[in-house]
Amino acid sequence: MIAEKSSKTIDVQINKDVLVVGAGKAGLTAAAQIAAQGYKAVVIGNKTACACGAGCSKEMQDAGLVEIQDGTSLVDIAGVAGDFRVTLGKGEETCEVTFGAVVVAPQYTGVPLNSAYGLALNDKVISQTQLEALLADDAGKEKLVNGSGSTVAFLSGFGQEGDPTATGRVLASALEIQKLENCRSYIYAGNVKVGAKGMERLFTQGRNEGVVCFKPKTMPTIEQDKENVKIVITDPVVRADVELEPDYVVVEEGVVVGPDNLGIAQTLGIDADVDGFLPSNNVHRFPVKSNREGIYVAQNDVDAANVALQVKALIGDGVRTLTEDIAVVDDTKCVICLTCYRCCPHGAIFWQDGAAVISPAACQGCGICASECPMDAIQLGEFTDADLKSGVKEAVASAADATPSIVAFCCKNSALEAGEAAAQFGHEMPAGFRMVKVPCAGKVDVDFIMNALVEGADGVMVAACHEGNCKAERGNIYAGWRVEEIRQRLENMGLNKDRVVFTTIASNMAREFACKVNEFAEKL
Amino acid sequence: MIVAERKPFDEIKDMVSSYKKVLTVGCGTCVAVCLAGGSKEVETLNAELNLAFGKDGVEFGAETLERQCDMEFLDELESKAGEYDAFLSMACGAGIQFLAQRFPDKPVLPAVNTSFIGVNLDVGWYEEKCRACGNCVLDMTGGICPVTMCAKGLFNGPCGGTNQGSCEIDPDQPCAWFQIYERLAAQGRLDQIIKLSPPNDWSNQKPRKVIQPGYEARVKALG
Repeated sequence: MIAEKSSKTIDVQINKDVLVVGAGKAGLTAAAQIAAQGYKAVVIGNKTACACGAGCSKEMQDAGLVEIQDGTSLVDIAGVAGDFRVTLGKGEETCEVTFGAVVVAPQYTGVPLNSAYGLALNDKVISQTQLEALLADDAGKEKLVNGSGSTVAFLSGFGQEGDPTATGRVLASALEIQKLENCRSYIYAGNVKVGAKGMERLFTQGRNEGVVCFKPKTMPTIEQDKENVKIVITDPVVRADVELEPDYVVVEEGVVVGPDNLGIAQTLGIDADVDGFLPSNNVHRFPVKSNREGIYVAQNDVDAANVALQVKALIGDGVRTLTEDIAVVDDTKCVICLTCYRCCPHGAIFWQDGAAVISPAACQGCGICASECPMDAIQLGEFTDADLKSGVKEAVASAADATPSIVAFCCKNSALEAGEAAAQFGHEMPAGFRMVKVPCAGKVDVDFIMNALVEGADGVMVAACHEGNCKAERGNIYAGWRVEEIRQRLENMGLNKDRVVFTTIASNMAREFACKVNEFAEKL
Repeated sequence: MIVAERKPFDEIKDMVSSYKKVLTVGCGTCVAVCLAGGSKEVETLNAELNLAFGKDGVEFGAETLERQCDMEFLDELESKAGEYDAFLSMACGAGIQFLAQRFPDKPVLPAVNTSFIGVNLDVGWYEEKCRACGNCVLDMTGGICPVTMCAKGLFNGPCGGTNQGSCEIDPDQPCAWFQIYERLAAQGRLDQIIKLSPPNDWSNQKPRKVIQPGYEARVKALG
């Protein structure tokens, strides 16, 4: 994250308060864990869980370590990690408060997947949430028992890919029903995922109590008329159909990301994954970290504890040592075209006094901005344009005697390591192959590539992380676009466009990298 | 801002091929913002030209000025001008002409096509908004320019070609006057659409000049 051989560092005071957006179980648990580290946590959103139950003790609340502002919402955010200036709103009123870090605890809603089973919801066909509501109080339980006891069938894992949370809810409810007088639970499970704490125990407990589980290979045959539902499966052991006409059918629920969460993500400038869940997946980051420094996501209790550790690592005792020159804007060159601001995947750039400013507290040094800047006004401390250009020059000169000579711009997070490993493993590489280290493929300028060709390189390779694996989220995508643009330009010039290629690689793919390089050399 | 696009490479190559030493001159204002003629584009274009001409072909220098539409910034080229046979300007048409005016003995070649006055929709994505007609009616048209957005440039619309919100020339092209109607209706200002605008005087067009209020005396003194 921070440049490797940094020299210029500064100490900055940072705000020690933490904003938690989302007052459900995960949000309140995160607040309790953060308060336990000694930082004040302010929780906003609609409160949907018990604060004490989530660990926010009365002492914490009395001491002001946890402050719950029920019904307050996030309006806007400015600033960077350590100094987020957040606008909060309640009704017509708004106020600005400063926080050092922000935690998002999304509250996802469920939608019953009855149509996946060809079922219509009615008094007998209910969703998992409806069942849980019945089990929550005595009147509901009485209704379920209905005097002489009832049979409840759960349908799960056929309507969607199963997950431990959904399976856990089914197992817990089935066990509870089985314990009611004269009640019986049947679980029809498709794709069951039990990889979570306590799930095996819950399953065994249910079996011991008499819960019947079927795991047919295909979705059961389900017939619904006005009164009843009939579920039929073929038992492969007894080789016969097993029929059941339960009193209640409970259908699983799909999780809906909801406009609220996506709205919060947009306001905060953090990315969601392909399904809309927060945060975006990135193998280079801890799962609770977002693409913006100082903004974290807690989905559950485990996340909440990890978020508290991340918050502690960020805030510490309120002083943070930052590298000043990770990326710096030359304000005499900057024309505030906003290209850098729009391209930055980390929300690290804003503008002030007629020029763009890159915050060392938020910048992660990928260099996408520097390569996109139309005025070459941005320089990375560790990877200046001058250094990279002379690196290219040296690379071409040192390979001048070999044919073909290849300059490979290698992302230090993937291709560089793969290339170094290939050399150590002794994989055969072309004699004229030279690597130029870049912080991210996003820092490969169009003119670097063109100049490598001008200097005399026979071929240029831009080697980035695989799609979806870029530490800077989009550096590999920008690199791919730029290479495509250059190939087009070469073609327009009547030159062989295949002299420039884009490839993706992982750091542990030494052999594959060597193969790709050799293939490229062969073509040249 | 003024939006420009780089000319096709072959066209530029042909233009410069008869010179020995050419200075590529970028402009650090509008064309830099629209990613067509800032210092990055100067570097890239020169690299392409070097690649095309080889080391023994035409030689290229690089310079990016703050603005080519100001004499004071053009003066910065004075000391270098003698070294070069021609200038290859990446500024808008105004900048290119002013550069040619400043160095009347020097061939000045355009490396970009000036496209329009527009806005930035996203990185590298621009849309025309103004034709600089010299007679702004945006007050009456709900802030939507009928000269730019209407295919006929009508000051009093819509015409008979309006079709369910689209223009007759293309179903994907919104009818400007339909949009104007919608916006004025939403603002409760439909009375504006009833007003008749007199036809714009397009006759006897010559380069327009603007002197901002308060500067008349200064301009007069300059002669």
